[in-house]
Amino acid sequence: MAEASVPRRQGLGPWFWTVTSAMTVLNIAVGIFIVWFPIRILLPEAADPAGQIDDLFKFMSVVGNAIFTYVTGYLIYFSIVWRRRAADGPDAIGIQIHDNPKLETWWTVIPVILVAIIAVFSVRIWMELQNSLGDVLTMEAVGQQFKYEFRYPKLKESVYNEMHVPVGTPVTLHVTSIDVIHSFWVPEVRLKADMVPGLVQTLRFTPEVIGKYPIICTEFCGTNHSTMRATLYIDSQKDFGTWLAARFKEQGQGGGTIVLAQGVADDGRVLFGQKCSTCHSLGPFAQKIVGPGLGNLAHDPDHADLVTGKPPTPQNVEDILVNGYSGPIGVMPNRHANALSNSDISNLVAYLLSLHGK
Amino acid sequence: MSVAATFTGHGHAHDHIHPEPTGFVRKYLFSLDAKVIGIQYMLTGFLFFIISGLLAEVIRVQLLVPKGALLSNDAYNGVYSLHGSGMVWMVIIPLMTGGFGNYVMPLMIGARDVAFPWLNLIAFWMFPIAGVILFSSFLIGAPDAGWTEYPPISVQGPPGTTLWCVAIFLIGISSTLTGINFMVTIVKMRAPGMTFTRMPLFIWAQFATAALNMIATTALAAALLALFLERVFSIPFYDPARGGSPLLWQHMFWFYSHPAVYIMILPAFGIVSEIYPTFARKPIFGYKMIAFSSVAIALLGFMVWAHHMFTSGMAPWLQLPFMILTMVIAVPTGIKIFSWLATLWGGKIWFTSAMLFSLGFIATFTFGGVTGIFLSAVPVDLHEHGTYFVVAHIHYVLYGGSILGLFAGIYYWWPKMTGRMMNDRLGHWHFWLTFIAFNVTFMPMHWLGLLGMPRRVATYDPQFQFFNDVASIASFVLAGSTLLLIYNMLWSFRYGPKAGPNPWGARTLEWQISSPPPYYNFKTIPAVLKNPYNFGEPLPYIGLESMAGEDGHGPDPHAPVPVHA
Repeated sequence: MAEASVPRRQGLGPWFWTVTSAMTVLNIAVGIFIVWFPIRILLPEAADPAGQIDDLFKFMSVVGNAIFTYVTGYLIYFSIVWRRRAADGPDAIGIQIHDNPKLETWWTVIPVILVAIIAVFSVRIWMELQNSLGDVLTMEAVGQQFKYEFRYPKLKESVYNEMHVPVGTPVTLHVTSIDVIHSFWVPEVRLKADMVPGLVQTLRFTPEVIGKYPIICTEFCGTNHSTMRATLYIDSQKDFGTWLAARFKEQGQGGGTIVLAQGVADDGRVLFGQKCSTCHSLGPFAQKIVGPGLGNLAHDPDHADLVTGKPPTPQNVEDILVNGYSGPIGVMPNRHANALSNSDISNLVAYLLSLHGK
Repeated sequence: MSVAATFTGHGHAHDHIHPEPTGFVRKYLFSLDAKVIGIQYMLTGFLFFIISGLLAEVIRVQLLVPKGALLSNDAYNGVYSLHGSGMVWMVIIPLMTGGFGNYVMPLMIGARDVAFPWLNLIAFWMFPIAGVILFSSFLIGAPDAGWTEYPPISVQGPPGTTLWCVAIFLIGISSTLTGINFMVTIVKMRAPGMTFTRMPLFIWAQFATAALNMIATTALAAALLALFLERVFSIPFYDPARGGSPLLWQHMFWFYSHPAVYIMILPAFGIVSEIYPTFARKPIFGYKMIAFSSVAIALLGFMVWAHHMFTSGMAPWLQLPFMILTMVIAVPTGIKIFSWLATLWGGKIWFTSAMLFSLGFIATFTFGGVTGIFLSAVPVDLHEHGTYFVVAHIHYVLYGGSILGLFAGIYYWWPKMTGRMMNDRLGHWHFWLTFIAFNVTFMPMHWLGLLGMPRRVATYDPQFQFFNDVASIASFVLAGSTLLLIYNMLWSFRYGPKAGPNPWGARTLEWQISSPPPYYNFKTIPAVLKNPYNFGEPLPYIGLESMAGEDGHGPDPHAPVPVHA
């Protein structure tokens, strides 16, 4: 074979360092632009973690841009410089090198370091998302086909498709669903949690910019998934107070009483899974989790009466759900702490009294 | 020749050559020959590619206007669900393994067939049946919950969802059988002297893919069986009100479907890893690191599934190991990309159509990889999950990665499979149209997602119309560009010049025999002395009887044996 025709190594090739320097300058310029660019002019940062999440996004964009630019830059540059030219015969071959341990070590070590930096930055932001924010508004959002239900601890009835929060007050939002999986996403807050039946997830944020923002479902939930929307209103403290007072007034006049006859046992069953099953089993009284088992509530030979000492009539069960219980058996929170609406209570009573034990 | 003589004894079991069947049915429909089965996979997969691609165009027509231009919500939901399911299970996975794996792998390792030809035949026939079942679900109400079919909505979904379960279960079994078959073939049937470190990189990729297919697909099968039982017999695996868990599906599904991402991309890595050295006329750079990184990616691929579930609900601390392990995958993937670039450096690059697609692959796949790192970071994912950003990401890795890799593979091995050349100029047009239209279609989807457009919607907010229209119009060009490929294939059958055994001057074994290869692949099984990538050296094969006769059936078997081609 024509050994002499094998090309020898001849440095990195024409313009290599010029091209590398040009890409580096470009990366620095684009990096500075990314860091400077105020993302909020495209999409407002309406609540507290949005800014930090955008910072992480920017950091990754700077790194990602650099990786992409170097890879495609060298790709184009090598393709031009090392193309087969007319002068090369069909048998012309490239420089026969198989590896370069030093180079390969570098391009393993540098990505490892980059990944480590990205991971540390991500974990730091992640830890801040987990922090409890102290004195907060705690409320619930429940997804259902195809609307959002919001429950405020002091309101007897739920509010549908509008969520009001006061600016500056940290919000702890528990989300769940009563039918299929939905999702709670406010792009301007940069946070999202799936609403999963039988599971409660928590989102924490502090509203910062007064305004009106869309709440969007991002998990396919049925025919009208595309239009499952609600609105998040970040109100001033005063407007929020006014809104809440108006809801109180409305509920005081209208359906402000619990109508046990309207209870639907099936809805109560779903609610039991969300609200009660952490502490109560569906076994006999003695099968305790935190509180007693409720499977034989109305038909228990050993415990004919409720824990309050009263017979298991619908009204007496309602009484425990509304006021909670505190006594020798333990402590159960009242309806406000459990965020139970009037209809929730009548549904739960209907369900509990329909059980016949096992 | 003494080395070859030493090896002939080992090859004895494989030296028995059955006569080629002559009837149409045994030769083309129910053939046991891996090459025929490979082409059957390719034709069937290409047909499903066209169907699934047309469904994608229906999606893009629908999204031309915010209110939806064409379909009711329910019809639209069925269209996008079958687009995704079809592309993943009826196009990319079967083409990567059943198609290119069957055709190229035995030739490349110097085998006459795969280890279990009957298993291969059975696995293939499950594929068209599964495809027909899947697409016939349109007749009774197509599944509507996307290719991921999360319960409980999929439990309540239209009747076709049950057919979806059956079809995917069937193709899953087909994949598992192919995985077992390829694993045994690669471990046991390599030509003598072809040690693991002398295997072409395409074989390493198929090896890692076969392992993934064997192990991961079982989890999908279990999840599908449970979904089927819940839909048909109301057994509550996923219904929380009756003690089931909706998240059980998500864990089982992603325990398969994350490795499935690598099932779809590793063979494409293998394809381009063959094409770069051939057309740069250089050894692949960092052979061992590329092979090792395929295995590392396959192993890590099993430990990251829950990164699809950061918003789904899991113990918060559990998010951290999944996030960090996902980011770690960037390292072996980076090693591959850098090694490919280094393979180009110092080459004599010949810009064939196959090479252009392989070069374009680096750019688009790198972009998809970078957005993958964004999605791996929990805080950023909380914003991006479930939006068009994810749609953009998945298409950059699956179209910009897997499909461009498949196109590269078609252009590369077409002369081997048909004995004829394709039109290279037309191939260049195909590449540039595809590459530009692809980027214009999917790039705007990143912005759409970041600015607030959720995925799987039939209607959207008016402010998103501009980018949606850009994507739609470009997608029509993208679909049109595929016509060039189809035309090129037809052109090649009619006018394509004869290819000869090795039109690219490639060095792997399949190019050292006639095009198309004879029924029995190799008259005698060659011995392998080195890995195949040393250009300018004699070929590292001994005892390879050249089959390079112009009639495609090999020369006189008694003719003297040339050592180098």
